[in-house]
Amino acid sequence: MAIQIVMDHKGDTRYHFDPKDADALLRAEERFKELTGAGFIAAIRTASGEPAVTRKFDKAAEETLFFPRLVGG
Amino acid sequence: MFEKLARITNSHLQRLLLDASRRARGFRNWYWESTCANESEVRGLRLLKEWLSPEQLAQFETHKYFDVTGCHSGKRYRLRYGTGMNVCELDHAGRPLAGWCFVPKDGLVPGDVVLAQKIALETDELAAMAVAKHFVVRRPGTVA
Repeated sequence: MAIQIVMDHKGDTRYHFDPKDADALLRAEERFKELTGAGFIAAIRTASGEPAVTRKFDKAAEETLFFPRLVGG
Repeated sequence: MFEKLARITNSHLQRLLLDASRRARGFRNWYWESTCANESEVRGLRLLKEWLSPEQLAQFETHKYFDVTGCHSGKRYRLRYGTGMNVCELDHAGRPLAGWCFVPKDGLVPGDVVLAQKIALETDELAAMAVAKHFVVRRPGTVA
């Protein structure tokens, strides 16, 4: 199972999906586009565990984290 | 004979102290997490811990802050658990040099804020610093 984690006022909301299921994968890609289109930043973790920002939906990513864009405080 | 006995006792004592210190840290972390304001804050804290490197996690468990290295400049920043004015640039000796404030646009719990700041500094430091606002930090030993 793969997961998309979206930071929100509740802490986060998690969407699990089976990357082998074409429909689920399509929904995950749509969610990715919707969130990044709304200004969220998507991050995945590399094999070594370091974070990396991604601007394209990665079918192979087991975990994608979305957080709102940053602004000066 | 006495030397051997002293060595054994010393080794046992060290193990005992190490174990007690580990338990105390575990209890402190449990207490700290259990006093978090609500479930949202606990979720944010859990997510943050999932994304920290082992070194950052160990530092965070002990001090409630951790250091990150900016991906472009190589500068070190100290991120304290909080929702604003919690990023401190460090000098080569690890002393606070300048404060920087940048936060996710939407209001988030502290764990999420700190995690977003960590990822930003480690993956796109220049973009983070382009929006960050500077604030003065008091160096230890100076009068405000």
